[in-house]
Amino acid sequence: MSEITLHLTIQELCQYEEITQDSVYAVVEYGIVDPVDGNAVSEWVFDLDSAHWIKKAVRLNQQLQIDWVATAMVIDLMRQKEQLKKENSQLKARLDRLL
Amino acid sequence: MEFKDYYQVLGVEDDADLKQIKKAYRKLALKLHPDMNAAPDAEEKFREVAEAYEVLKDENKRAEYDQLKRYGGQNEQGFDVPPGWQSSDGYTHARGSASADFSDFFNSVFGGGSRHHQQSHQTESDLYKGQDVELEVPLFLEESIKGIVKRVEYSVPALTGNKVEQLKKSLEVKIPEGTSDGERIRVKGQGVPGSESSLNGDLYLHIRLIPHPLFDVQGNNLLLTLPLAPWEAALGTKLEVPTLYGKISLNIPPNSHSGQKLRVKGKGLKHKGNQGDLLVVIKIDIPNKTTAETEKLWSQLADEANFNPRAEWSK
Repeated sequence: MSEITLHLTIQELCQYEEITQDSVYAVVEYGIVDPVDGNAVSEWVFDLDSAHWIKKAVRLNQQLQIDWVATAMVIDLMRQKEQLKKENSQLKARLDRLL
Repeated sequence: MEFKDYYQVLGVEDDADLKQIKKAYRKLALKLHPDMNAAPDAEEKFREVAEAYEVLKDENKRAEYDQLKRYGGQNEQGFDVPPGWQSSDGYTHARGSASADFSDFFNSVFGGGSRHHQQSHQTESDLYKGQDVELEVPLFLEESIKGIVKRVEYSVPALTGNKVEQLKKSLEVKIPEGTSDGERIRVKGQGVPGSESSLNGDLYLHIRLIPHPLFDVQGNNLLLTLPLAPWEAALGTKLEVPTLYGKISLNIPPNSHSGQKLRVKGKGLKHKGNQGDLLVVIKIDIPNKTTAETEKLWSQLADEANFNPRAEWSK
């Protein structure tokens, strides 16, 4: 049986994903994600959904050369789009049952 | 090997200044970035653009590249690095700044040879982490409430000798109880192999709940559409209804309306310690066929009930 994890510490995130601690700090500072645990930066723990958005935010910030404010806006819109797509498909399924 | 015309990739002239190069890169990156563009070839195209920019934005790399381009670039036999060629820069591009793996052409010119051909002479700068792999895993609601061991099968590119081949992988993974739609599970070290086993990428399982024939998911709650005959809705009744945890007996109160929700505590999904409920949504159906006798009864009801469901319209 393969070992699974549902959380990543900031150290793991930086080590495995080759992201700098400063970038993770910026992602949290600009409200893109929140750690699920830890007060000091070195104690931060993220769930895997947050880790996914951290990686995406850092990629967009670096590869598109946009600042953190723009990155936060892009990520927010991407999340909203994902949420709306999900809600839309759920509502369509509900409608099919009610008609 | 194919000679890469980085100027052509970015769509700029050979004498373009840094400002023009940056502008062209930003424009293409916005258009082709895999996070912004779902087209299957977007990632490959973005990789080419990122590679071209990596070279042309750097004065030294660009000068060396221009020198090679003048040396001959692509000829009929393809491109070969000139004998004795050594980049002053070495293979120094920051992985974080461009997560894409660059082409053999790039590695030959700026890394002193293709990375894939250097396995036996690795230096620290040649060590690289394998990419993470993300797989969508469909899960039935019944499986998500209990947790289940799932077998996942996928393939990753792996180096065999000097060739990159697809390595088939098959793993058993325990999906924890209460896993919800969209959740991710990380399986450490099961992604694309890196230059050392400690640098293997990870496998991320992205959970997708399969639509259920009876239940819809709304957060932690489950929705069940319950069709009722008009007389059941009007008079009330006691029915056996399905839940994910087995059948239960449910009292339908008299004068129930279409769309009305009846809450059954604790029969929804459990997620992060919170137990959701089952919401039974009433839907009133009428028979498709009527006999003369039932039509007579409906007419009698219409006369007796004195009910105008569109009374609101005339206000």
